[in-house]
Amino acid sequence: MTHRPDLIDPGRLAAEAPPAHHTFGPDVLAGIRERAELGRYPIRGWGARRAVPDFDDLLLLTASASRYPLEGYRERCDTRTVFGARRAARPVVLDIPITIAGMSFGSLSANAKEALGRAASMVGTSTTTGDGGMTPEERSASRTLVYQCLPSRYGFNPTDLRAADAVEIVLGQGAKPGGGGMLLGQKVGARVAGMRTLPEGVDQRSASRHPDWTGPDDLKIKIEEIREVTDWQIPVYVKVGATRVDHDVRLAVAAGADVVVVDGMQGGTGATQDAFIEHTGIPTLAAVRLAGDALADLGLTTDVGLIVSGGIRTGADVAKALALGADAVSLGVAPLVALGCNAPTYRRRPVPPPDSAPTGASDSAYVEVDVSAEYAALGTAPGHCVHCHTGRCPVGVTTQDDTLAARLDPVLGATRVANYLRALAMETTMLARACGKSDVHRLEPEDLVALTVEAAAMARVPLAGTDWIPGR
Amino acid sequence: MGELSGTTAVVDEARDEIVLDLAAMSTREANAALRSLPDGARARLDNPAGRHNLAVGLTRAVHVRIAGPAGYYVGGLGAAAEVDVDGPAGWGVGENLMSGTVRVRGAASQSAAASAHGGLVVVEGDASLRAGISLKGGQLAVAGDVGRSCAFLAQAGTILVGGDAGEALGDSLYEAVIYVAGRIRGLGTDARVEDLTEADVAAAGALAAAAGFDHVDPQNVTRVASVRSLYHFDTAHHGAY
Amino acid sequence: MCGIAGLHLKDHTYRERLGAMVAGMLRGVARRGPDSAGVAIHDDVPDVPDVPDVPGVPGVPGVPGVPGQAVPGVPAAPGAGLTVFREVGDPEEFAARIGLAGRAGVRALAHTRMATESAVTAAHCHPFVAGEERLCLVHNGSFANHATIRRRLAGLGIITETDNDSEVAAHWLAARRAAGDDLTTALRRLTTTFDGFFTLAVTTADSFAVVRDPIACKPAIIAETDHWVAVVSEYQALLGLPGLADAVVFEPEPEEVYLWAS
Repeated sequence: MTHRPDLIDPGRLAAEAPPAHHTFGPDVLAGIRERAELGRYPIRGWGARRAVPDFDDLLLLTASASRYPLEGYRERCDTRTVFGARRAARPVVLDIPITIAGMSFGSLSANAKEALGRAASMVGTSTTTGDGGMTPEERSASRTLVYQCLPSRYGFNPTDLRAADAVEIVLGQGAKPGGGGMLLGQKVGARVAGMRTLPEGVDQRSASRHPDWTGPDDLKIKIEEIREVTDWQIPVYVKVGATRVDHDVRLAVAAGADVVVVDGMQGGTGATQDAFIEHTGIPTLAAVRLAGDALADLGLTTDVGLIVSGGIRTGADVAKALALGADAVSLGVAPLVALGCNAPTYRRRPVPPPDSAPTGASDSAYVEVDVSAEYAALGTAPGHCVHCHTGRCPVGVTTQDDTLAARLDPVLGATRVANYLRALAMETTMLARACGKSDVHRLEPEDLVALTVEAAAMARVPLAGTDWIPGR
Repeated sequence: MGELSGTTAVVDEARDEIVLDLAAMSTREANAALRSLPDGARARLDNPAGRHNLAVGLTRAVHVRIAGPAGYYVGGLGAAAEVDVDGPAGWGVGENLMSGTVRVRGAASQSAAASAHGGLVVVEGDASLRAGISLKGGQLAVAGDVGRSCAFLAQAGTILVGGDAGEALGDSLYEAVIYVAGRIRGLGTDARVEDLTEADVAAAGALAAAAGFDHVDPQNVTRVASVRSLYHFDTAHHGAY
Repeated sequence: MCGIAGLHLKDHTYRERLGAMVAGMLRGVARRGPDSAGVAIHDDVPDVPDVPDVPGVPGVPGVPGVPGQAVPGVPAAPGAGLTVFREVGDPEEFAARIGLAGRAGVRALAHTRMATESAVTAAHCHPFVAGEERLCLVHNGSFANHATIRRRLAGLGIITETDNDSEVAAHWLAARRAAGDDLTTALRRLTTTFDGFFTLAVTTADSFAVVRDPIACKPAIIAETDHWVAVVSEYQALLGLPGLADAVVFEPEPEEVYLWAS
């Protein structure tokens, strides 16, 4: 075949930068090579990395002349959130509407789980177990602990169930709705394997359906069983990955849920197929409005709780989610970042010389150790790392390696996560007060406008400066 | 029976049994009454009429006889107790059992002994699909046949099938072991027949004895266990993922 | 998701008691489907147009599922009658309202619905009735590819009345019957055409059939005596049936078609 310079001019192509969005861009080429290398789908941690409409596309209409704000620091703005009071003898009472999502011991280190439990207790909120059961450290560190009942039933037992403050029956999660959990062999160490009754080192792929029921008609019976076993003491949550949200919320309610947890597509994971993370589910922004409207349509807004999760980062996100119908939000990735995830350094308390007297140094005294080189060894860098699945987390958050796990000090970590949660709660009340609300739960969709047509359509609020809601 | 005040409990003195009439009691009242019994107590539930969630979450060494058919999850999430069902049982009999025994004097529906960590589930009739699914160390003994996908994803523990096994037996097995006295219609992905050792004969014999199966000859059972080829990702098995 | 019950009389011993037997079965599956309920009753006594005695419900022969209304019976075929009632609301109150316990017949389907993806209206209630022969179908479960099959049917000029997934199966079966399949063949073909979870019970003027999907994630129990055969979602729905103690009771195998013809 003859060369056709009129069709291909290599010199010209090399001189031009590729367009930002390109069918076969550099990421796509890398993905094809990765699949060619592995012979299977790529697996990774974290959540969606693509841009989707999110809470940044909404703005709050705070008060001025037609409405009046409440004074910050002086006039009360309630954040107390109660779940399950309709049926449970011991409802869950949270001081702030911000909770910590289910993440397994296995995916996370024991220190990370303990730090999250301590932090949640410090700010009066709940934390959640994960696929693999409840550790004693986590139970004792957590004032309010939600115990997950997952399809795998790894580590699920009636003793821990009765020791929990709520049970969350997991049908799916936002990062992989319709898929099961995953934990690669390098993280299935002796303790994790023992808790899950698995051989050490297997690539664990959890079931995606529960073993003893399928469908809301049978879930109704399952929920009654769990209420019987817990003597109707604790609330029952049902968690779904955000897909067919309107149907799923209605069915969770029909089955008897006290709280519906809806996890949007930006929700994180310790390990799953990249195709799941990027290509399934709907954005949290769209999910929260659908879920809130479903409960409102059923007339159950006050009786059934709604928790949403998936990409919540700031108090502004919290305020907007509450305005769209959530009673609380749940956070996974963000508290891990507060613990040090993706930071170039980890922090440890100084080890005093053996012969020195105790200094009484506060928790805030620490030494920073740079681990950038270890990120590089994983083929990544601080700020871009999604290598949770490898178990080689340089900052000790998502690892089962003793040396790495020891880098995360649960006390120091808890302080940072608690600081972060407090800051979020303060941002939320600040914005709620500015909207004239004496309770963060009184934020409403009418307090919002959208910056983009997409967000306006998903959240069903007007495009800013107009009274136009797409589709209305 | 101060603890049972407010219920319709009576005592059958001849049998030394506390009798709870479910025709006049809610499931919640009956289960609360059972949970209040001390170790060693005996109770009988009359008129169960296929009701769900009977005798779930027990924690003491009580003996509970359910005098008729039971619905879903009978004896589920239990420990230490002995639960007898005089009739068939619905889905998930003895699900997530920790210890003790659940015995069905009839057929069991789907997912018998699902995720059971310990204890023994005995089915004196046939068991339907996915018996022993996700088994985590418990024991399941079925006198008759088991349906499709018995021991699906079973992680640990022992299953004895006194009759025939349906298709996809032992699909995606981990370390659980299955003994089948009758025929096997088909094996699931990653399951295989293995040679019977002395230890297997002893294990199958002990389980048959515990279940009270005298029709099973432990020398003449087929051992099914995991090939372990799905323990790690392998391109050759992409169809199984 | 739902509760289903079906009853087929092999002889006329219980013809006068059929409604009472079905009422008990419906009660046994009521908790599985609190949204709505329906029954279809076949009788083999000719020319008995059975207009339901439901207050305020006009008879609209041949128009199943007028929202909020029961559907009166229409003759299904010479020598056979079919009466269908479908209503939103509590199944037990429904049974009382239509006087189910007093009705005679030779074959019946009953359904209680927990709506999954389509609306709760009378038109969305089971049993669905389709085709020339007035084939009736009840479904416990959900289909995963009904939209595509609905479009294919539409291409053949077969238009479903609602967006309900189960209705598609009824019309698809009727289309297969019209194309010449016997009921067993049509149901066997259904198991390889429809994705999702299903226990289906189907009746025609002379047949009663049960089939489940290959994974069989929804419950099903069949009981059979010399006089009748019944299918239910839960065992407790069988308990009032005469002669149950002597019945052969089993769970239908996945993908197997079970059929009884009169």
